[in-house]
Amino acid sequence: MLSSLAAKFRLSVLTAAALCVLFLPQLNAQDFGVTIRQGVPIRIAVADFKPQSADPATAGYKTTFDTTLFADLNAAGIFDIVSKGLIPQSAPGNQSEMNLAQWSAAPANAAMIAFGNLAVQNGHIVVNGFLDDAKNTQFPQVFVKQYSEEASDDQARQIAHQFADEIIARLGGGGVGIAETKIYYVKQTGENKEIWEMDYDGANQHALTHLGTVSLSPRISPDNSRLAFSALGREGFQIKMFSLLLNRMINFPAAGGTNLSPAWAPNGNQIAFSSSHTGDPEIWTADASGNIARRITSFRGPDVSPVWNPKTGAQIAWISGRSGLPQLYIMDADGSGVQRMTDGGYATSPSWSPNGQFLAFAWDRKYGPGAPGGQDIYVMEITTKRWIQLTHDTGRCDFPSWSPDGRHIVFANTPDGKAAHTRIMTMLADGTQKRALTGSGTDMPNWSWK
Amino acid sequence: MSSYAHPAPLQQKLSSGFAGAIALHIAGVALLIGAAFLHPSNSDIWGDKSAETGSIQASMVSSIPLPTKAPPVDKSVLTPENVTKAAAPPSKEHTTTAPKPTDILIKSNTKAPTKVAAKDTPAPPKHAQPTPDTPKAASGEQATQIAQSTTPIKNGAASATVEDKAFGLRYAYYRDIVSRKVAENWYNSEADPRASQDKHVTISIEILRDGSITNIQTQQRSGSPTLDQSALRALQRIDAFPPLPAGDHVTVQLTFDYHQP
Repeated sequence: MLSSLAAKFRLSVLTAAALCVLFLPQLNAQDFGVTIRQGVPIRIAVADFKPQSADPATAGYKTTFDTTLFADLNAAGIFDIVSKGLIPQSAPGNQSEMNLAQWSAAPANAAMIAFGNLAVQNGHIVVNGFLDDAKNTQFPQVFVKQYSEEASDDQARQIAHQFADEIIARLGGGGVGIAETKIYYVKQTGENKEIWEMDYDGANQHALTHLGTVSLSPRISPDNSRLAFSALGREGFQIKMFSLLLNRMINFPAAGGTNLSPAWAPNGNQIAFSSSHTGDPEIWTADASGNIARRITSFRGPDVSPVWNPKTGAQIAWISGRSGLPQLYIMDADGSGVQRMTDGGYATSPSWSPNGQFLAFAWDRKYGPGAPGGQDIYVMEITTKRWIQLTHDTGRCDFPSWSPDGRHIVFANTPDGKAAHTRIMTMLADGTQKRALTGSGTDMPNWSWK
Repeated sequence: MSSYAHPAPLQQKLSSGFAGAIALHIAGVALLIGAAFLHPSNSDIWGDKSAETGSIQASMVSSIPLPTKAPPVDKSVLTPENVTKAAAPPSKEHTTTAPKPTDILIKSNTKAPTKVAAKDTPAPPKHAQPTPDTPKAASGEQATQIAQSTTPIKNGAASATVEDKAFGLRYAYYRDIVSRKVAENWYNSEADPRASQDKHVTISIEILRDGSITNIQTQQRSGSPTLDQSALRALQRIDAFPPLPAGDHVTVQLTFDYHQP
């Protein structure tokens, strides 16, 4: 009994050692180059804005504004935000009321301070926002901006988003702010699935389409004017187009077969999609109105989920089952230069990062009968094919989508594996700060381009 | 067999031909050998006859005398926040090389011109980058280092200095962002640790109004090519900095220090 135990222990130690050796290259992959490099964060303090008018409505707008601004800068991923308990109690309204020494000293220790005032005048919310460099006592002011919008809670939120974006643009080391971006997703409404839209932080969720059928994989165009998706019609799944400017469906030619997963080229002039009207699902590209469709894959085996390289517009990544289980491939936009990226498992739903260097996709590396399946979000560096796993043990994750600043990923997740309990979650591109944006019944998120 | 023609005449021709060919070959060889005897070549045989060029001699030694290591010039000095306390700014030439040997030689007044010429060679050749003739800022392009923004990273530090004094003073936060972004993108594990230890490379860049980088020039090489390459690659990795808060271009000196503890 003891000897068999000892033997088992020895075997497990050997297996563990062997696994460590196998996994060491992956550990190195996590250590160097593949992780999205987070630089030294800037320590920013966000003051409560000073109310300039005694209007009772002002207090409500001010609270919305303050909380939204704080949440935006916190979610940006480049700031070390000073918590509200550590900042000085005084709310400076403008530059003359700002006491830099108070803010740069402990416990706040702020390097940058965002403050200002908010007033409601003639049915408009007027906000003056300041950004100060606490370290530069001679010339503290970085910028000051005035915003004026119609007085409503939604507009108070939008002004906060604009101010946060401006701060991120000035301090973010070249990245764009995502505070004004939207996420388009599929919401289960009874038996149907419709396309909904929400702000990047989960606010303002509302329906866009009312087709009364199953609609899948929404993709917004790069100029935010049109939404392409796939909907079940009389002749099967067809690519449909919804105009956000006209707020109604617009025409897109229907082909036979099953047409799924449209994807926009970064110049907004071309769409790639998967169509099986020739018998086998292949990747086709067409112009934005659906004309001049050209087939670019030709191998037997399903080809689905294309996505363009958003930096160059010259490559397409997609999922192909030509070698058996679905694997991730990339090719040039005309169909040449096919390269296989994954070496096994079950890979789905690629999303290309805005800087063109990474692919995020859902991967079940141990797919098969009897294997403990677990589909997680992975990020792979295209040049080296080294990857890193972003989600662990949180249930089944799918449909990742990059944010335009390349620092966040939104994805769908079911904690218990049931399709009805899928919700949309967001995280930083290194896998930290995961949080849910919606409740159950939502799927397939797509982050807008700007 | 009777249908075949009789090969006798052909065979006779062949044997006479053979004999002729063999005779010709023997004659040719004899000619060559004879020529070698009659006209011997007087070009050098292998190996020079002179006594100076000898073979390499190797002798065993117990220890190899190595050149003494020059003390590292300490460049990673953090200047205090209050810029008025900064030391007198050294001029550009002095920051590139240690001036001590030159001072001594100038005083002794011997071989001064040749030593100055030798000092010029460490200056890196300017790469064939067309210098854009942008209008110079009114406040001048003095290369005075007043305050640096230094961002330490693992095994080193990246510092940024803006050449325009007034800009660096007014927009110190922008200098911090530049230094931070460069440090973030510098993978100093690309540099050979033994060759780059305690070395630094200085590169100057121009940042345009929209934050894009142009005119990357190595001001002072470190002596370790891998360190120089890793610094240049860091700059290539950066897409752009944030847009300039003022002015249409600004020149920044970046210093990459490699220190492995």
